[in-house]
Amino acid sequence: MTSDRAVTSDGSGPVPGTAGHAPGKPAGQVSGRPDGEWQRVHPASPFIRGWVALAAICFFFGRDIFERMLQGRPLLDELYEGRVPFLLAGGGLVLLLSVLGFIMTWYFTRYQVAEGYVRVNTGFLFKQQRQARLDRVQAIDIVQPLLARIFGLAELKFEVADAGESAVRLAYLRVDDARQLRATILARAAGLEPDPERPQAALPEAPEYAVLSVPPSRLVGSLLLSEQSFFVVLGAVASVVLSAVTENRGFYFYLIPAALGLAAAYWGSFNKGYNFTAAISPDGIRLRYGLLDTLAQTLPPGRIQALKVTQPPLWRIFGWYRMQVNVAGYGNAGSNGEGATRTTLLPVGLLDDVMRMLSLVLPDPGTPEPVRVFSAGLTGLAPAGERSGAEAAQPGEAEGGFVTSPRRVRLLAPLGWRRNGFTATATALLIRSGRVWRELVVVPHQRTQSMALHQGPLARRFRVADLVLHTTAGPVSPRLIQAGLDEARALFDAQAARAREARKRQTSEQWLAQVAQTAPAAVAAVAAVSEAGATGEAAPADTPPAGPGPETPDLHTPHHRQDQQKGPEHG
Amino acid sequence: MPTEAIDPPGIAWLRVSPKYVTVRLVEWAIGNLIALAVLSLPLAFTLMGWWTWPPLWLAVTVPAVMLVLALWRLALIPRQVRAIGYAERDDDLLIRGGIFFQRTLVVPYGRMQYVDIGVGPVERSLGLCTLKLHTASAGTNAEIPGLPADEGARLREQLSARGAARLAGL
Repeated sequence: MTSDRAVTSDGSGPVPGTAGHAPGKPAGQVSGRPDGEWQRVHPASPFIRGWVALAAICFFFGRDIFERMLQGRPLLDELYEGRVPFLLAGGGLVLLLSVLGFIMTWYFTRYQVAEGYVRVNTGFLFKQQRQARLDRVQAIDIVQPLLARIFGLAELKFEVADAGESAVRLAYLRVDDARQLRATILARAAGLEPDPERPQAALPEAPEYAVLSVPPSRLVGSLLLSEQSFFVVLGAVASVVLSAVTENRGFYFYLIPAALGLAAAYWGSFNKGYNFTAAISPDGIRLRYGLLDTLAQTLPPGRIQALKVTQPPLWRIFGWYRMQVNVAGYGNAGSNGEGATRTTLLPVGLLDDVMRMLSLVLPDPGTPEPVRVFSAGLTGLAPAGERSGAEAAQPGEAEGGFVTSPRRVRLLAPLGWRRNGFTATATALLIRSGRVWRELVVVPHQRTQSMALHQGPLARRFRVADLVLHTTAGPVSPRLIQAGLDEARALFDAQAARAREARKRQTSEQWLAQVAQTAPAAVAAVAAVSEAGATGEAAPADTPPAGPGPETPDLHTPHHRQDQQKGPEHG
Repeated sequence: MPTEAIDPPGIAWLRVSPKYVTVRLVEWAIGNLIALAVLSLPLAFTLMGWWTWPPLWLAVTVPAVMLVLALWRLALIPRQVRAIGYAERDDDLLIRGGIFFQRTLVVPYGRMQYVDIGVGPVERSLGLCTLKLHTASAGTNAEIPGLPADEGARLREQLSARGAARLAGL
């Protein structure tokens, strides 16, 4: 079997099947429930959600009492002396009411998965019912904050295409239940019908194959060499010099809060990025990470709208890259800290890792030499000599087919003009930019929303134009900078046509019909790419295209999933 | 300066109503005259001797520069309105605009999520409307201002019908 060969030659991952939870072991208590029954979240959840408030109250009063004890003052002012019973009764009442409120909230929060929808009812005074279509699922996450982890609970987040709030949040469920529910939702979303004879049977979780993990040492190194550190060192040097020049020792006191803030920022990044592992399953890409708070993301196939590979200058020493994605529903990374980590596909990885992740996101790269093209996108540079962009577009050139800015813009972009460029494979548009901060943006053709050509007065003088591709909100904003006017115009037309063609091919929202063989094929592609990457050669075009496979009707039955599941065990 | 257009050749652009110039003029007047009045206050105060700080040359220069910029923008309005155009192709809608900062936008019908028609008070009195297209991307700033109301309604129906026929997932 293809997957066996792939995993053994991969070598880096653990034995398939032992990664995470054992597949095919359905949580027993779930299987007895009929489909569509209304269920409640775990009774402990309100307290886990409200613990911050409780801790704040305890801290507030506790500190006061503690200080009074230290100073030897009476615990209560004389003013309140005679009213202690009333105060206690009042406090007790408030506590009782809030606990009652918690319990009521819990009691009236119920959820259901049925008929292609997941529904959540909340509220007892103002009732709200949310429902989300399963086949519109964009991503599904299992979040475990530290406290929830201690109690073995987890929150399930279910994203549909909406840049705002998570469509559905179920906090908190038992971990097994959360996983089971995720498997059910993903299976339904994939178009898998429950077995008509045993509709109550829990759907088994799809098997997964480990792809890569980020060692902690590399994570620490990446943090130390990040852009942030660059400015930290700059600031430290500046303040040391300033204090030496002005002989003002007071400077160091200002550095203390700055250092504390930095330590918190570094710790936050470390805590979130720790133990990052990626795996592929028929349900999509699985990402797991976190030291104290853990998060397990599942990105179903084809849900990635755009992708960005970046390399800050200092990472070049070790050849590290970072990958970020736009996923509808995750929203903008800038809005909160959580968004920034959730849109990270790979916090830090070598070229080899980048190629593997790319092969998962784009199972069909649309080019016979994916490694060469993507490498050119990451590090390539056009020759400095006189040539026109159209010549470079000829296939078989050393550039990987990238069309860069014409030579005439070298006054406008003295560093970037040899780097800024684009190439289009059969399935995606690649835009590279940045001489110092290297960046490669990949947008699958069928994910292009709309496009715009922009040209300012200066650009018109140089006969260049920018092409902006619009995707859903996220960290990636694809923009082709300063392409020659003729090339930009040709690309504008060609890209519209390509996006149209790609959309026609994609017909179903239920991805099982489209990407039935993604997992084995993607793993095979991973193996091929990693072999090629190890030897430094371009990958031969032997990876089978894992594009839309409409001729696989039998894959719709749950039967097939059972078979797939047995695959790795027999291997 | 070469004035080569950035849009693909061979497209028959439909232009918006010339009456839209009036809408832009009203917008221009509201925005610029208020700014001009506020910026002229120091000049008035200095001339009346209430204020001593801004020297006369500064108090004159700031509103003068503002006035020149405002007049410049005023002179551009008719050309800007003439530059707005849209074209319905078989599979997508093209929208163009701008003189100095040109933009040509293409929105595939299958990507449209919904179509808005907005009418402001000035537009209503002139029988115009503004059509806005929304896709899943917030970056799609697809707006056609200054359409005659019946043309706007026709376009909305047309776009909705074509969008429904070609609707794709995300």
